[in-house]
Amino acid sequence: MTSGHPTREEDFDLYALGALEGDERQAIASHVAACPACAQKLAVARGRVALIGMATPEVAVPPNVRQRLIARIRLESTAGPATVPARREPAPRTESARWWSIVLAPAGAALVIATIMLWSQNEKLKTQLDQLRSSVASQQQQLEESEHAADLLAARDTVVVPLAPMPGAPQGTARVAFNKNMGMLMYDGSIAPAPEHMSYQLWLMPTEGAPINAGVFNPKPGETDHWMMQLPPGVTPKAFAITLEPAGGMPHPTGPKLLAASVS
Amino acid sequence: MKPQPEADSNASDAALIQRIVQRDESALGALYDRYAGMLSAVLNRILRDQQAAEEILQDIFYQLWRRASQFDSARGSLPGWLTVIARNRAISRLRKHNPSQGDELNENAVVMPVNLDNLVAQRELLGRVRGALDSLPKEQREALELAYFQGMTHSEIARHTGDPLGTVKTRLRSAVETLKRNLQ
Repeated sequence: MTSGHPTREEDFDLYALGALEGDERQAIASHVAACPACAQKLAVARGRVALIGMATPEVAVPPNVRQRLIARIRLESTAGPATVPARREPAPRTESARWWSIVLAPAGAALVIATIMLWSQNEKLKTQLDQLRSSVASQQQQLEESEHAADLLAARDTVVVPLAPMPGAPQGTARVAFNKNMGMLMYDGSIAPAPEHMSYQLWLMPTEGAPINAGVFNPKPGETDHWMMQLPPGVTPKAFAITLEPAGGMPHPTGPKLLAASVS
Repeated sequence: MKPQPEADSNASDAALIQRIVQRDESALGALYDRYAGMLSAVLNRILRDQQAAEEILQDIFYQLWRRASQFDSARGSLPGWLTVIARNRAISRLRKHNPSQGDELNENAVVMPVNLDNLVAQRELLGRVRGALDSLPKEQREALELAYFQGMTHSEIARHTGDPLGTVKTRLRSAVETLKRNLQ
């Protein structure tokens, strides 16, 4: 490959894929930085490569992730939005400005160093603030979830379904509670970790239709998994089951049923 | 991509981004509902760690919330950009890199072959991609997946599979050529 235009368009795909290395990678990186036409070809190649990921079968995300995100941005709104400073245009330079720049160069350099140090410290503080906001949002979310769980378990029409171990089941216990009138479903369990590269997946078997994904999870030793989600409208659970699936879960159950129970 | 309320499900990505700029959290929720499942699939496939995948997923949408005004939809596709960022972050985490995350909105222009706001066109396109991937010889597909999902370079794939470097380069080039031909 030369420092001119890459000879084949696939080179852009291989670059976007991250497969190139050394001089091959550097040649394209330098070239696209200076060639708008090739930068556009790289953007198209990035799109093609991104499609490999986008074609991966979708997996359900536990609802509490969305709730934590919304809680995090609400917290930011309460604390005041983080703004990105606008870029300033440089002022035109004059002769006297040049003279002053020579005289004040050492002071300027010191100022630049001080600015960089302050900027660096500011970035660290911003990161810490983000982490704190995330942590507070997470705690707020946990508190709300605990309140919802207490409401659900206290309701008279809540159905609690202990899941029974099937052959090959991991050690531990798990249960599901749901309430059609409240439209809520809760999983609560403590079972042994899944094998490497695998996840557990909870399924709601409705009286009509295909199994519904009710959460993918990877328990940690000695920890309890707990989440709540909305019961899909109009769905009447007939049974619940936990299966073992490839990491990240599957759109439909494919693995062995490890814990299960019918709704009596 | 999950079903959403009528008004938001019909809104284009660009319209939802504009609403996010005006601090409309329901617009962020709509984009999350539209793309979280897709991004989660990529993140989980790369990381095989649900908790880490969820952290990155939340951070990506949080960054979208904070920096939506910098996203120029004329320069590329939002789902394409989200997928590129998700993959980059997951690979960095997997390989213990720590790249700058500040300016990703400007650095990663991504152009898609069709407008993915159109659900029918999107399904048709992803169907063609899956067909192309399924049609690849096993060795080509393996090389492509090692590069995409594990972030391996040519040499790393050669070391991993035990195949000569030249063979790996040919396989990967053939794989991307097949993908490209199927998308024309």
